[in-house]
Amino acid sequence: MLPTERLEFSVIAERPKLQLPYGARLVVWLIVNVEEWEPTQPMPRTVLTPPAGGAPMPDIPNWAWHEYGNRVGFWRMLDVIDEHRIRAVLAVNGSAIRRYEPIARAALERGWEFIGHGFTQKNMQKVPDEREDIRKTAAAIREVTGRSPRGWLGPGLTETWETPDLLVEEGYDYVCDWVLDDEPVQLRTRTRPIVNIPYTQECNDVAMMLIQHHKASEYYDRAIDQFEQLYNDAGPSRPSEGASGPSGPSDGSARVMALVVHPYIMGAPHRLKYFRNVLAHIRQHRDVLFWTGEEILNWYTAQRAAFTP
Amino acid sequence: MIPRERCSYSAIVDRPPLILPDRARLVVWTIVNLEFWDIARPMARQVLPAPTGQVLLPDVPNWSWHEYGMRVGVWRFFKLFARLGIRPTLSINARVCEEYERVARAARDAGWEFMGHAWEQMPIHNVADQAQMIAQSLDLLQRFAGTRPVGWLGPGLTETEETPDLLAAAGVKYIGDWVYDDEPTEIRTAHGPLITLPYSVELNDIPMMLVQHHESAYFTQRCIDSFERLYREGAERAKIMAIAVHPYISGQPHRIKYLEAVYEHVNRYAGVLHWNGAEILDWYEAAKERA
Repeated sequence: MLPTERLEFSVIAERPKLQLPYGARLVVWLIVNVEEWEPTQPMPRTVLTPPAGGAPMPDIPNWAWHEYGNRVGFWRMLDVIDEHRIRAVLAVNGSAIRRYEPIARAALERGWEFIGHGFTQKNMQKVPDEREDIRKTAAAIREVTGRSPRGWLGPGLTETWETPDLLVEEGYDYVCDWVLDDEPVQLRTRTRPIVNIPYTQECNDVAMMLIQHHKASEYYDRAIDQFEQLYNDAGPSRPSEGASGPSGPSDGSARVMALVVHPYIMGAPHRLKYFRNVLAHIRQHRDVLFWTGEEILNWYTAQRAAFTP
Repeated sequence: MIPRERCSYSAIVDRPPLILPDRARLVVWTIVNLEFWDIARPMARQVLPAPTGQVLLPDVPNWSWHEYGMRVGVWRFFKLFARLGIRPTLSINARVCEEYERVARAARDAGWEFMGHAWEQMPIHNVADQAQMIAQSLDLLQRFAGTRPVGWLGPGLTETEETPDLLAAAGVKYIGDWVYDDEPTEIRTAHGPLITLPYSVELNDIPMMLVQHHESAYFTQRCIDSFERLYREGAERAKIMAIAVHPYISGQPHRIKYLEAVYEHVNRYAGVLHWNGAEILDWYEAAKERA
């Protein structure tokens, strides 16, 4: 199905206002991506190109650079996430659950939500049997959490024309590949609809650090700018203030902000403090909630039910 | 062997902490890389691709840019490390001992550790006979420096599936290619265990300056950010912080002061050791024996 067949174009200002409980304006969700990179395949990302270019295989240095995240970086990030009392979302390759069992255990002990992120870190368009991949990932998560995952993030956000249909048929309730709004939206599938929760390519360490090659401090600066603007947008209804600082009108409709990290990137010693400082800044706001994807889904589903006669 | 066959996954929090002598917190491991770029082949790195991106042979502008490091840049390093009293590890293409004897001699005379870094700078996958190349490289370094190197770093950290086996067979004790931990680790080979030391692709002027295109000043910032985090963690378990530099990059006039600033910063702290790879190896092996 084409994207335009799954949902209509819609202007955010013209929709019914979403209301969060406790007078909150904004909900933030933190997604930690844990992946397994297959050493016999080309690496999904690289930090170091070989001398004189090319792509000789195997690629041990870049495999090792990613592996650092799971051996060391994750545990450093975990301290920071614990310090700020956040239940994060673990977007995890199905195969990584068993391979990195201590990580799955640490997430489970803290009540994090597990969402499917492909069985391996491979473009969904290259997976031989997409349904089987989606199903195996759900089974791997069920094995450790005792529950089927409700959410899905494609590896590199990749989808085929069929992905949302398959996800619903395999029991998933939400997807995050569609970074097209500040609010959740509903997508049609060939059976029941699926919800898309706003994920981000903007406050995402892969895009920022590995593709755009920003300094680590830009993760902090950008996340704060993003947060201040969304916090403003969701404020009590009033016209634009103009001038400096977050500006534009507020409409009193709740927004969702995603923060995305990977242990091999923001878990590097030199980047950690910028991640930590983002959480510390947002945590100073009493009217901002940190929720899991499932909590956002449940809230949004109830809001929609209230709008629909 | 693929990596999983050499070493299982291990979370750092599940290991007993390593302890440094005199309650030091952190080891700074400085690695200077010296390479030989063959003008007959495409250059290992380029600062200036040819107009319209054509492959250039010979690539005189980029060859010259690298050559500057040997003629000029590296002498800034020698001066800096002599002033600081630091004897880095020299990651050296063996052919440098012949082609740039003057530079290799200065490193030897300053007491730097010689670490094998292949014969010349090309992906190790393209070497026809790796075992021969490894032996030839180590033999020459031994003849030149007087002792056989105990360490090895692949060119661009490259390895094939058999490289660690061939290195162990040749008597190498540690490698720097596995940048997957903050601590030394032990991996399996067909010829007994090999130690990995935590080299860096984060605090390394190639990824930072040539791949990510950061400003020169960011080198200082990133190193200090790393240091401050690792120094804090070093209160509980020993940390190693590798800094990898190349004379044609960090030896540039506009970059050298940012490298100097890193050492000025870290040397203000108590409990910071400057060790080379062989010293880290000896400490780790003794620590393992005690455990």
